[in-house]
Amino acid sequence: MNTNHEPSSEYVIPISFGSTEIIETGNWGFLKPQTSFMTAPCQESCPAGNPIPQFLYLATDGRYHEALQILLRENPFPGVCGRVCFHPCETDCNRAQYDEPVSIRSMERYVSDVAANQPLNLKPVRNEGSKRVAIVGAGPAGLSCAYFLSLLGHPSTIFESQKEPGGVMRWGIPGYRLPKSILRKEIQRILCLPIQIKTNIIVGEDISFDELTQFDAVFLSPGAGLNTSLSIEGEDLKQVWMGQDFLGRINSKEKVTLGKECIVIGGGNTAMDVARSALRLGSKVTVAYRRTKGEMPAIRDEIIEAEEEGVRFEFLIQPVKINRLQNKKLAVTFQRMKLSGLDPSGRPKPIPVKRKFITMETDQLITAVGEQVDLSWIPQDLIKNGLIEGNPSSKIFGGGDAIDQPRTVVHAISSGKKAAISIDLCLRGESVNQVFSKIKVGNKGAVSMGAYLKGREDGEWPEEQRIITYEQINTLYFESSRRVRMRKRSDDKRLKGFSEVNLSFTSKEAHFSASRCFSCGTCNYCYNCYFFCPEGVISLDPVQRRRIVDFEHCKGCGTCAKVCPKSVVVMKEVG
Amino acid sequence: MKDFLTGNHAVAHAVKLCRTPLIAAYPITPQTAIYEKLSEWEASGVLKGIMMRTESEHSAMASCIAASLTGVRTFTATSSQGIALMHEMLHFAAGCRAPVVMANVNRLLAAPWGFWADQLDSLSQRDTGWIQFYCENGQEALDTVIQSYKIAEQVYLPAMVSLEAFFVSHFMEPVDIPEQEQVDRFLPPLDLPHKFDIDKPGFFVPVVSSELYRKYKHMAQESMDSVKEIAVKVDQEFKEEFGRGYGMIESVALEDAEVALVTAGSITSTARLAIKNLRKQGNKVGLLKVRLFRPFPVEAIQVALKGKKKIAIIDRNLSLGSGGIFCQELRATLIHSPDHPLTYSYIAGIGGTDVTPEVIQKIAMEVMSRTEPVDKPMWVME
Repeated sequence: MNTNHEPSSEYVIPISFGSTEIIETGNWGFLKPQTSFMTAPCQESCPAGNPIPQFLYLATDGRYHEALQILLRENPFPGVCGRVCFHPCETDCNRAQYDEPVSIRSMERYVSDVAANQPLNLKPVRNEGSKRVAIVGAGPAGLSCAYFLSLLGHPSTIFESQKEPGGVMRWGIPGYRLPKSILRKEIQRILCLPIQIKTNIIVGEDISFDELTQFDAVFLSPGAGLNTSLSIEGEDLKQVWMGQDFLGRINSKEKVTLGKECIVIGGGNTAMDVARSALRLGSKVTVAYRRTKGEMPAIRDEIIEAEEEGVRFEFLIQPVKINRLQNKKLAVTFQRMKLSGLDPSGRPKPIPVKRKFITMETDQLITAVGEQVDLSWIPQDLIKNGLIEGNPSSKIFGGGDAIDQPRTVVHAISSGKKAAISIDLCLRGESVNQVFSKIKVGNKGAVSMGAYLKGREDGEWPEEQRIITYEQINTLYFESSRRVRMRKRSDDKRLKGFSEVNLSFTSKEAHFSASRCFSCGTCNYCYNCYFFCPEGVISLDPVQRRRIVDFEHCKGCGTCAKVCPKSVVVMKEVG
Repeated sequence: MKDFLTGNHAVAHAVKLCRTPLIAAYPITPQTAIYEKLSEWEASGVLKGIMMRTESEHSAMASCIAASLTGVRTFTATSSQGIALMHEMLHFAAGCRAPVVMANVNRLLAAPWGFWADQLDSLSQRDTGWIQFYCENGQEALDTVIQSYKIAEQVYLPAMVSLEAFFVSHFMEPVDIPEQEQVDRFLPPLDLPHKFDIDKPGFFVPVVSSELYRKYKHMAQESMDSVKEIAVKVDQEFKEEFGRGYGMIESVALEDAEVALVTAGSITSTARLAIKNLRKQGNKVGLLKVRLFRPFPVEAIQVALKGKKKIAIIDRNLSLGSGGIFCQELRATLIHSPDHPLTYSYIAGIGGTDVTPEVIQKIAMEVMSRTEPVDKPMWVME
């Protein structure tokens, strides 16, 4: 450092060619900027706790491989979730209050597709006292549990009743929403880990429940595979099918022939999958639902796409009787319903309108009014209200659609993750509740595997983070923009088969979509603090993801805190 | 090429012709038309420079100083409250020896609020170290901006070109717009020795000792003094290239005058007519126009007013508690005159009030009849 401060007399003004670094102006202030990250609402509402702002930042920077790796730390199925998730993240996205939410789901898909051929970069922990875990069911919950157990150093054995793993992702969701090749790739990535899978094994038949308990721990995620019956006259007619059976046959590539006209009963995702699959087999499809469109439990996008494709909807009707007519058609009698009050779950309750009935003729009727768990092989003490309830003291845990939680792929993944952590804690004799409170992502039930792995290794648990609200975002630094809609296969081609409807983003669209993220509560190296710092004491390293302040020269003016668009720089008193 | 232009647009033309690459400004009535015109040209690509729309005049001047010290030509325009807000940075510009050129449209200072012509805004910045010109009309404003660059860039001091609100800024007159080639010939590119150099990083405005401060101020004073000579030379060169010149002062029918009127800015035009009328009536009245205010052309004025018995200074400005500012300067200039002329201070046109030929004639006739000195300024309240 040149410490000669004598100005040059060469010019008409004094110019110092020495450095003023020697003066430690940092001593003048009593406030110092500190980075204090907050949890973004999108991340809080993601049941898997996906690190959304972080992965979108990396995607904006074109670092797709890194983006995929940080997604994989919390969720082994980004390719699946990027297609079929009900994306509560987008509902809660702070940007939704500004213009339109960030296309988080589509970006998860894009990142996953672009970096799909990259090997898994996560290193399982070295675990001297590794234990063996039995898992029943290779759906999203079971596979996730096995995956996370592997990362925690525990090998597992999965018992799967079907001939291939995947559960509802393999046998339920049709290919136009989730191509099988994508699913296969993600399952392969999981099965590279020390996981043994035994297919075509039915617990209770090929192996007894007692045999499972010889493992160090058991995770039960058999799914909800039993169709709910309508319990009405005529349900046993041969033109009346069960939704899950229908989808299973399609997903097994079985040749299925449907009548010209088809009525689908139900308003959930299975009903939508059935209706749209039936359309693709050439039927004219009507969905009959006992509440209205607003109450349909199906994902909104699915309803919209079903409508686009030509599915008709009849609301506020409930089937009460099915007759077979002379011409081999079915005559379905519906009771007219109306909404009145709320049911115990808080949804508007459908009640019959007295003496109001309608009859519709059809060739085919497919029911999709819910699924139940086959509990025939489960010991009674693990059953509560028709669902499985684990018993940690006997090292038995449950997950997926078989436990009391919303039946979505991402909830299943989340339950697999939580079970893996619980199993690891139980097997090591540690308190589950205490650790869960330290690794939670916000207050909506998600937990972070990243935080658990770090805390488990060095005892450093993250500090509790607040959720960043929209009001805390300095929106002056953002330009209003519309979100990009993903291109879709054209209408005429769409119904000719089961090819994926949503086509991917172009790289330009992806970059733009990722860059719309506010990066709520995190640093995305926007360089605002760097540019506005009057002292030039901030240095940023986006590659190592570091922000360094030269405190010897920072006077604590607070400009950086003021101009941070995400409110992650806060001024704290020192000394 | 002749065009029918307002004074504001004449100034904008000058800035464009000087190929100024950095303009930083903030709009204020009655200057806004300069800002708008340059902005419009920037948007259409006619102006090949950057127009910084700053958040205040203080920032505009700070931007000009910083840009100037990278070695580029800079410009800003302001008025009234704007130049008042700039005050701190005006000292910096001169202290940094940054040859910034600024147009100031003379508008009264609040309060009370108003938009009218009054020279107090720029005159109250007289001690900031800026070269100051006062222009009579749009043509002179255009020409003076071009001349100012050539002067400022030789002495490394900032220059301010003042034109009065509305009387000059908004009145349209035929203005001769020089050809680009002529201006290019007249005005060489800026070559600033004390500019930021990436290869030799340095720090400007460091803390200096008392002795050094004194040294740099003394150097600046010498440079400012040299303006009187350089400005005359530049004006001559201008005349050779464009066929017009103004001088630092201008004498009109002074030779045999018994009474000399002294004016600056737009009142000069009116005074020219008043002199004609007075002469027709047989009254020996002459006129001295002061165009350069900083540095004050002391020697030239002493020569021009040599032997005059009575002098009336008409000020469209007022230093409260003292009087007309041009009058103060003039009295100081004549302090060593052997014959001690009587100097009368008239305050006329304050707040943009009209100063007609009749008003000026009345002042002249009144002075003709006076025999005793008057210390206080006399207000013309027509």
